[in-house]
Amino acid sequence: MKFTVDWLKQYIDFDYIPQDLADRLTMAGLEVDAVTELFTDLKDVKIAKILSANPHPDADRLQVCEVEVGDEVKTIVCGAPNARAGLVTAVALPGCVLPGNFKIKKGKIRGQVSEGMLCSTKELQLADDADGIIELEDGLVSGTSFNEAMGLADTLIEVDLTPNRPDCASVIGTAREVAGMCGAKLKHPVDPGQLPELTASDAFSVQVVDDVLCPRYVARRMTGVTVAPSPWWLQKRLLGVGLRPINNVVDATNFVMYEYGQPMHGFDLGKLAGQKIIVRPAQEGETITTLDGGERELNPSMLVIADAKKAVAVAGVMGGSNSEIDDATTEILLESACFNAVSVRKTARNLNIGTDASYRFERGVDPELAPIAMQRLVAILEDISGGTVDAGGIDLASGVSDPGEYSLRVGRTNEILGTSLSLEAMRDYLLGIEMTVREIDGDTLGVTPPSFRIDIEREADLVEEIARLFGYNEVGTTLPVVPMSFASQDPKRILKKKVTDVLISQSCYEAINYSFVSPLHADYLGLPEDHEWRKQVALLNPLTEEQSVMRCSLLPGLLENVRRNINHQNTDIRLFETGKVFRPKASGQQPAEELRLAVVLSGKRFGHATPLYFGQDSLDIFDAKGIAQSVLSELRLEQVVEVIGDQGEAYNGSQHIRLEADGALVGTVSHFNPECLKRFGIKQDVYYVDLSLDVLVSLTGSAKQFTSLPKYPSVQRDIAIVVAKSVASADVVALIRERKEKNMQSVELFDVYEGEMLLKGLNLWRYLLPTGLRNKH
Amino acid sequence: MEEALQQLKGDALADLDVLKNADDIEQFRIKYFGRKSPFSGLMRELGKVAKDDRPRLGQLANSIKKDLQDLFDEKRRSLVAAHSGDGDGVDLSLPGRTQANGKLHPVTQIMEEVCGIFEGLGFTVAEGPDIETDFYNFEALNIPPHHPARDMHDTFYVDDSILLRTHTSPMQARVMETQEPPLKVIAPGKVYRCDSDITHTPMFHQVEGFLVDKKVSFADLKGVLSVFIAKMFDDSIPIRFRPSFFPFTEPSAEVDIGCVMCGSKGCRVCKQTGWLEILGAGMIDPEVFKKVNYDPDVYSGFAFGLGIERIAMLKYGINDIRLYYENDLRFLRQF
Repeated sequence: MKFTVDWLKQYIDFDYIPQDLADRLTMAGLEVDAVTELFTDLKDVKIAKILSANPHPDADRLQVCEVEVGDEVKTIVCGAPNARAGLVTAVALPGCVLPGNFKIKKGKIRGQVSEGMLCSTKELQLADDADGIIELEDGLVSGTSFNEAMGLADTLIEVDLTPNRPDCASVIGTAREVAGMCGAKLKHPVDPGQLPELTASDAFSVQVVDDVLCPRYVARRMTGVTVAPSPWWLQKRLLGVGLRPINNVVDATNFVMYEYGQPMHGFDLGKLAGQKIIVRPAQEGETITTLDGGERELNPSMLVIADAKKAVAVAGVMGGSNSEIDDATTEILLESACFNAVSVRKTARNLNIGTDASYRFERGVDPELAPIAMQRLVAILEDISGGTVDAGGIDLASGVSDPGEYSLRVGRTNEILGTSLSLEAMRDYLLGIEMTVREIDGDTLGVTPPSFRIDIEREADLVEEIARLFGYNEVGTTLPVVPMSFASQDPKRILKKKVTDVLISQSCYEAINYSFVSPLHADYLGLPEDHEWRKQVALLNPLTEEQSVMRCSLLPGLLENVRRNINHQNTDIRLFETGKVFRPKASGQQPAEELRLAVVLSGKRFGHATPLYFGQDSLDIFDAKGIAQSVLSELRLEQVVEVIGDQGEAYNGSQHIRLEADGALVGTVSHFNPECLKRFGIKQDVYYVDLSLDVLVSLTGSAKQFTSLPKYPSVQRDIAIVVAKSVASADVVALIRERKEKNMQSVELFDVYEGEMLLKGLNLWRYLLPTGLRNKH
Repeated sequence: MEEALQQLKGDALADLDVLKNADDIEQFRIKYFGRKSPFSGLMRELGKVAKDDRPRLGQLANSIKKDLQDLFDEKRRSLVAAHSGDGDGVDLSLPGRTQANGKLHPVTQIMEEVCGIFEGLGFTVAEGPDIETDFYNFEALNIPPHHPARDMHDTFYVDDSILLRTHTSPMQARVMETQEPPLKVIAPGKVYRCDSDITHTPMFHQVEGFLVDKKVSFADLKGVLSVFIAKMFDDSIPIRFRPSFFPFTEPSAEVDIGCVMCGSKGCRVCKQTGWLEILGAGMIDPEVFKKVNYDPDVYSGFAFGLGIERIAMLKYGINDIRLYYENDLRFLRQF
């Protein structure tokens, strides 16, 4: 919602400066988004009077004008056909910067000196196009500032209106709020007590098919109308709120809509077949060309205004061009109606049009407003269009119901707010905002809201009004007294914390990526067509293709991070992410969500460490495996076993370890193959760990159990075993463990030798077996 | 003998006085406490003195030696302390040997800080699905289809009734549906809105909180949020509550804090108002209670929600929200 301070002052006297007014509105619940000085880019434009206009000696279409600007006379070359002696207009002198950063300089045009530019409404950005320079009233004094002379200096205030305050979607509605703040009286342009009776018209008829969808329809006819540009006072108001003046009839309807919040429409009565208005659902397959030029296909869920033959407007949304007012129009039919909020909203959404009218109807328009706004509109139009309104008119209001009475319990209200207000205090607050209040009993008020407060429909709404009027900041501050209880903690959250602690201690940085990714990731990974990650949860309305499907894995996002970091010269990377991945279920069901953890490692092993002391070796698979082991060891999950030797996925390299618990896949330690990395734009090796936290949380870690410390020093047995290279180290360890050597405490591989001293194809493994007696209790 | 001992003591003290470095200390140690020290010689001579004098002289010799040893130790300690800079030829200004820890993402850090404050107040953490149903995201929160409040939520849809949650508020209905009051719950998580520009990312993080019991008041809401803000920012930061609208709370409030960027003087960040909006809150709407079969005449409660990225921006001075999801190590290392 937009209004200007000057416009607001038309209805209420106040002396707040704009920023102060904005603060007060914000504190009253009308949050001000922006306060803008208007037309500051016209501040250097001056009023000028053309003293003489003579043809340019060397150009047919130009004139050389002597122009009076205050005390000075300037020579200005002008191409406008309407430049003539005696005309009062606007001038931009050298140094002036017009809207669009258009700098005016002194120059020569076809050999003639020109000391500035006479301006058109287009150059001043007051209209989209113009035939010539602006023509102003004779009385304006040359040399004065254009803004001042034209009353343009004003402040625009934009309110981010919440849906519960449709009554403030107008300048008068806002003025009513300000009246409540400063105690001044609202000046109504129309006296609601002096409205004419509109019972019938000889000239036209109106039929409303469904009074739920159209509770009220007020229509009046004007004849003898001359369609012409609006007077300046009207244009100025519209320009102030960013609307382009079009013609007097259209401008007046827009003005009243902003003023009262009642959308209005004018039809060219001559274009209405049968002198008839029918408010009805659209027919299947019916079409209309709306005023914005769009061809709209309608259906029976949409309400239209029709004449005897065709739809002439989409109700509450936009008029049709087939009944548009044009320069030849002399007879008009004016509409001031109330349409159903949900119906207008659905129609506007379906047609993908949002207008000032639909904005207001969607939020709800006071049904009592229609005849008042109509009275205002015809008064303005009689004044500015030369037309005459018929004495009669039509006001169909069968769908309007009386506002209900709601009870407000004083005790409950105080309980909810934490206040101790008296019944009288609450009554006075409500009376102050034009509610009708009666005392039902000592604790209960019966409250009838005024018709414009269509948002008040229950006790809770009244409680909010009391809080608002008392002042949120006046309510005390207490701490709730709630019984103590222990709700068990989410085990996934505990697991996540433990795991991230391990990763942080392993020098890994946490990444957070978008949950939606590019569908191309599946191709980058080289996934086969039938891979389960190819079945993705797709968004119906993604912002971009890169964010159009929900991720199936954390790895592609992390690979994108690796590339980005390498591109920014960070080639040593240890990143991890914990987050959800998504898999589709049957249509209509919420997709499955799984919490996973992935770590990616790339670059140097000690890239994060003091370079002076640590080597420059590259990371390898054992760094990734070590991280997985640290995580599993912290969780005490000894049941997780390594499975070595399967192929891995299409994106894996040859080194691939599956981690399983009781046959279920827990995760993977592996690396990406170079083709996959190339598709992600990465030229260096990347190792990774990918674990399912959902599976991990289902596993039970071993209990912490004390074992007595050895009483005697242990003996280090150092055994060396020569084996074929095909034998896995883990198998040798298993074999040693299986022997259950007496008093053996652990098995630690500490050296591997493969060299000249050994036959080809053999390895020498050296194990350390600390052995010692345990203390007996 | 006695003179010789006193003489030795005098010489030793004089020598001790001029010790300057590690070499001097070592020489002194060898001279006075080594195998060939004058004490050793004197002790050998002790056998030759009169028998009656022996115990007294022996004690004297021992006490002189002990005093000297103490003074020497003290001198050595003070010399080592004074010369720590050269550390016996080791440059102690060299960096320490460490493998630096990694770091949590700033969003996680703030999220944990927020959750920690509320956990301290006795709230428990509950997390819900990112992909929600229209029912929990909207209808259970008193936002029927075609309500203009839906305009406040630019929603990503998966199909007609399934969507990416636009706020963490659905957890209100999910928790209340399965539990009875009293409830003190916070629900952190990712939320999604199809809006992307200089001040919006299509995914961000929220923490929703709610407390339901008998006789919970708006004053209680103010109390709890004031405690939170004081802990999160500063005890002295100004706070104000102003009317707003959320379909699932009534009365609804926006909570502003004095601008932390300019000290409430007015700057670009606070749009010259001196205030920053950081929380939405209100008393849970009776309609929300009705959807989960709570009697709104028996129970009352409050709910609030806050955006984590915004708080991280204010606390850490981050000025570009796009940085959050690029995961640039130069960014992540800073927090």
